[in-house]
Amino acid sequence: MSRLVVKAEGLKKTFLLGRVPVEALRGINLTVEAGEFVSILGPSGSGKSTLLNLIGALDQPTSGTLLINGVEVSKLSDNQLTDLRSRIGFVFQFYNLIPRLTARDNVELAMSIVNVGKDERSKRAKELLETVGLKDRMNHKPAELSGGQQQRVAIARALANQPNFLLMDEPTGNIDSHTAQEIVSLIKQVNANGVTIIMVTHDQHLAKQAQRAIEIFDGLITKNEVNHLED
Amino acid sequence: MRTRDVFGYSFSAIKLRKLRAALTMIGIVIGIAAIIALLSLTQGESVTITHSFEQGLSANTLVVTGQNTPLYANYTDQIMAIPSVSQDITATIPIIQQAGYLTNSSGTTMKVTLIGINFTEAEQAFPTNFASASGTIPLNPPSNAIIVGAKIGNLNSNGTIFVNAGDQLKVTTQVPIVNETYMGNVTAVFAPIGGVNFAGPSDIGVYIPINQAQAYFGTNQLSEIIVQLKSSSNGTVTTVSKAISNYFNGQVNIESATAIINTITSALSTVSAVIAGIAGISLLVAGVSIMNIMIVSMVERTREIGILKALGMKSRTVLSAFLCESAIVGLIGTLVGIGVGWGVANLYAALVNHRSQLVQVNGAAVNLAPILTPEVVILALAFGIGVSILFAMWPAWRASKLNVVEALRYE
Repeated sequence: MSRLVVKAEGLKKTFLLGRVPVEALRGINLTVEAGEFVSILGPSGSGKSTLLNLIGALDQPTSGTLLINGVEVSKLSDNQLTDLRSRIGFVFQFYNLIPRLTARDNVELAMSIVNVGKDERSKRAKELLETVGLKDRMNHKPAELSGGQQQRVAIARALANQPNFLLMDEPTGNIDSHTAQEIVSLIKQVNANGVTIIMVTHDQHLAKQAQRAIEIFDGLITKNEVNHLED
Repeated sequence: MRTRDVFGYSFSAIKLRKLRAALTMIGIVIGIAAIIALLSLTQGESVTITHSFEQGLSANTLVVTGQNTPLYANYTDQIMAIPSVSQDITATIPIIQQAGYLTNSSGTTMKVTLIGINFTEAEQAFPTNFASASGTIPLNPPSNAIIVGAKIGNLNSNGTIFVNAGDQLKVTTQVPIVNETYMGNVTAVFAPIGGVNFAGPSDIGVYIPINQAQAYFGTNQLSEIIVQLKSSSNGTVTTVSKAISNYFNGQVNIESATAIINTITSALSTVSAVIAGIAGISLLVAGVSIMNIMIVSMVERTREIGILKALGMKSRTVLSAFLCESAIVGLIGTLVGIGVGWGVANLYAALVNHRSQLVQVNGAAVNLAPILTPEVVILALAFGIGVSILFAMWPAWRASKLNVVEALRYE
């Protein structure tokens, strides 16, 4: 029996826009099993990023239950949420690398946060950057790298602490279609190595490349089906 | 996150904005430099003054002068006989002094203080300082005998010989008769004594027998009585001073080297505390500028803080990283400040010393040497780093409390 990485029941999130409450999520039921590659598709403002923030323990739900790796998120303290986050890999649309650090230092920083020793993190950062195809660009700062290369660094960083799953928020949203395809191939390769991937996108074509596509609209899941992959 | 990694992360943030960090440091540097310079100078000055007094006069001496009543010769015996303290007093020496002029054989005239004193008593009371370098101190001096200090014989120690033992000097006074003169015989010249002289022999003293002074100045009244004590302890000095004052119903002034040193030291420490306080204000201003910079830095790095927290950095690590950044700025600023302050203090002392070689104070060249004690260095470090951390606390706390989702969205 496969293990559940994410289990959400009746998940709601309400924000206050001034004094007006806005329901970003209105009751999400969702499960993601270990090893899956799931895409979450939806138009802008549909609540997909809010859902990703909740799954990534960046935010807490207003109501409903959310179990990540079997742990109920709403009961966690700020420190426990932080601990949980260190076991999740994040890849953002705008890469979110630290501009003053080199590619290698960016990857190492993620490991130094969870107390990995210097030798170990240096070795692992090198391996990861080689895996994502940046062997020759390790000592470059983000500004010296293309969008695609920066996203590869971000993926390497997300994998640095051997996370249970990767959360990706529009990982190809800011790069050209050719590079985007390369990134998708890389994501598939990572998934093939056993890492669970949950990817938010508004790109239909990209969403179809995941094993399962979830569509979200106006804070509710409208579609949740297995893709028939071409390859 | 390990302490070393937090330190490395903070240092990389400072390195990115070197100019800004340097400008922020200037406030700390100025504040600390001012404190170090002032404290080391006043401390040095205090030691120099105390040393000068100790050199010029043993601390076991009181000087009694008349306040509202004249002092008479028989007071010396009366003081010796004050019952409660007589055992603490070894000698009382009467002195009559007045301004006058000395003219040497080549016609050079200088204004001096003529001091009438019993040579034998003075020699017994001050065996080290009332001692001749050339000539002899006569036990039964003729009335025209004169003994001069080293800087009267050898003017200002610069090689100009004013008078030698055996020479004659014309002594002139204005009181009680204008321009009354007599020819004096210099029987001895003192060896240099040094220091600032409070009582007793001095390098610029001109000594004549007390009988001659009485006759020449036409008075029986004493200018002062030197009271020599068995001990220089504060207790003895205070007890004897009080007893003499009570005996004369408060009609006399009593000064002691110890009291003068204490007054000067306490005045100096008050001055140094006030000035250090003013320097402290500049540190506070520096602190506010640190706070300002840290707030700017926090706002600029909002997104970065969001990333770090998303990667699993704990709030308290964000807090320590910001505090560490500020502490590094404070540490470097303080170290530079200590160096600059020490440099300024030495430069100032060198200038003062150079000037004092030209213009000597009371015949004694001031030799000012700033003193930097480990306590002051530790105080400066604690203050510099403390201010930096204190003023960074609020911005650092705000940074640590940033909401991850909002921080990540920050443009």
